Amino acid sequence: MQTKLYRLFSSVKVAIFLFLALAATSIFGTLVPQGLPLERYDKLFSPSVFAILEFFNIFDMYHSWWFVLLLVLVSINILACTLRQIPRIVKLTFQGKKGIDDSVFTSSQIRKTWHTQEDLPGLMKRTQVLLKSLAGNYVEVKNNDTSYFFAEKGRYSRLGMVFVHISILFILGGGVIGTIWGFSGQMNVVEGTMSDTVLLYGGTGTEKLGFDVRCDDFTVDFYETGMPKDYRTDVTILEGGEKVISGAIRVNHPLIYKGLKLCQATYGIAGIDNFRIVVQNNRSGKKTMLTLGLMEKVTIPESQASFAVAKFMNDRGGKGPAVLGVLLETGKAHDIFWIGKNNQEQRGDITFALHDFDKKYYTGLQVSKDPGITLVWTGFLLILAGFILSLFFSHMRVWIKIATVPGGYELSLAATVNKNKKVFKEKLEGLIGKFQQGGTA
Amino acid sequence: MNDTFFVSIVTFAYFSAAFVFLVSFIFEKKYMDTAAVGITSFGLMLHTLALLFRWVHSYQLGIGHAPLSNFYESLIFFSWSLVFIFMMTKKRYGSRITGILATFFSFLILAYASLSGNVDCQIQPLIPALKSNWLISHVISAFLAYACFAIAFGTSILYLGKRKTGTENTGLLPDAATLDEITYKMISVGFVLLTLGIITGAAWADRAWGRYWGWDPKETWSLITWLIYGAFLHARLARGWKGIKMSLISIIGFLAVIFTYLGVNYILSGLHSYL
Repeated sequence: MQTKLYRLFSSVKVAIFLFLALAATSIFGTLVPQGLPLERYDKLFSPSVFAILEFFNIFDMYHSWWFVLLLVLVSINILACTLRQIPRIVKLTFQGKKGIDDSVFTSSQIRKTWHTQEDLPGLMKRTQVLLKSLAGNYVEVKNNDTSYFFAEKGRYSRLGMVFVHISILFILGGGVIGTIWGFSGQMNVVEGTMSDTVLLYGGTGTEKLGFDVRCDDFTVDFYETGMPKDYRTDVTILEGGEKVISGAIRVNHPLIYKGLKLCQATYGIAGIDNFRIVVQNNRSGKKTMLTLGLMEKVTIPESQASFAVAKFMNDRGGKGPAVLGVLLETGKAHDIFWIGKNNQEQRGDITFALHDFDKKYYTGLQVSKDPGITLVWTGFLLILAGFILSLFFSHMRVWIKIATVPGGYELSLAATVNKNKKVFKEKLEGLIGKFQQGGTA
Repeated sequence: MNDTFFVSIVTFAYFSAAFVFLVSFIFEKKYMDTAAVGITSFGLMLHTLALLFRWVHSYQLGIGHAPLSNFYESLIFFSWSLVFIFMMTKKRYGSRITGILATFFSFLILAYASLSGNVDCQIQPLIPALKSNWLISHVISAFLAYACFAIAFGTSILYLGKRKTGTENTGLLPDAATLDEITYKMISVGFVLLTLGIITGAAWADRAWGRYWGWDPKETWSLITWLIYGAFLHARLARGWKGIKMSLISIIGFLAVIFTYLGVNYILSGLHSYL
């Protein structure tokens, strides 16, 4: 039973099935948007479709029990396959230069035997040169009248595939660690304020950072075409009210502090402030600039009246920004009127004009912590190392036997290579041809 | 004069090369292969110049960036990758079959890029998300991978054609076994390049979006593609599958490539909105 299960899990057929199953099921999550609030899906699908999708957790399928199960099965499969392959690979890689037995000369992929009457010292010398040029080294064993030579190159390339498979376990393991002990969320910080709380994605609550992030400034630049050029948040990190570091966060340039990564994610306008209203007294012709916040009452100079901004509109009727002004005069009813950015409003002796205002931005920072990331990067490097080993190197072995036979010597050559057999065979045949004609490599 | 002028000559060069390769299939003349390879080399050289020219030109416009940042530039680079992969592998696999596939596909892509009204060939400034050191390595590895898969797709189609018409071992086109072998070799190189593309993409996503993997449609489809070709390699290396089954997986894999490249952007929506 145990061996049956082990065989099943270490089978390549199962691996292929799991690969294709993961590929096929992954498609669903790209067709159905992931991780939205449930009400949104309710509108997108009919009740019956909704029920089916919900049953299979399609709305967050990459974290669903069945998808995770597939990933677990893949991991078990890789582990079992690797464990099954390792003894053989290790044996082939580290088996040392054991004594040469004659069987290789009858069983290897490439074999050749020929006779020569050349003198032995010259023959030995040329054999050594040939093997050196092929592998860089060789071993020589003498057995009565027979000389054996063995040379090999690229033994460690066999480890490439082991690296590649183990690396997948590293990457998946790193993913698991990140999911369990990491978090990811967003914090919106208005310019001039600070926050220490992250709103976790997926509506799973909040996370306290243990330090404050203050947004000193947020700027957005545009190209002439109107395309965004740069988003930049200048932040200061404070611990216990003390400044620790200051820096800029831009897209592709996160700030990393205490293992937390702060990335520029979004921005928005938190509010409008510092309305500058030009007030002109039509009798004296004198102009004054009022600077006031929303719902802040100020007295208009040279008059009994006071003024406040009750409301702001970014675009009023296609004519641009406007404020709703309230004029208060003792003994009179409130006068409420819109003041556009590009026109003037006259009320009695006073003309109002909206000169300018300040936009107050908030920056949306994505904050994430992922303790699994080192393992993931290790996996990435390992998989590349594994590919390079197995793609660019191959394990080549060559045996040569020189036996004394009546009237000269018999040379036998055997060779194996685990990759690019055709190319290697052609190369070796060329070398043997030269060798037989008395040349070396 | 700008880079699009070079591109039009390149388009013509690849078309001529594909034509000469095709003629050499019929007449079996070695010197025709040599001529076709010559035309292709000339095309590739000019193609490379066009890329460099556009790169320099973007700096003159004050928005300097590698020409790998929008749909037009991706098409031009995809076709460059096809011919580049052919030139790199022609010694190993013989020039004729990969040559005709690479030059013909490149010609089609370039013709589409130049003639279709949907493709804007202006040099555009980079949006903040694309301003990254990962741009070049990510795009190059991804498109070299796509190019390998495209050639494998071509040889798989031809393989099926040969099997279907019962002309496995006739002189026209390489024999079925050779086609099968080229498919496998192209996919193994493409697989490594795709892995590199996904890794550089993950590293970039980690800087730009704060996570190396987020099941964004582009990411997910690149994984789907990777899994299909992963299944192909396991079937071939560990199970010794050959022939029609492998050709079918290769064709399905390439459909996934196309979807990863275009479908994700034109049909689905996600973060990776710039191709």
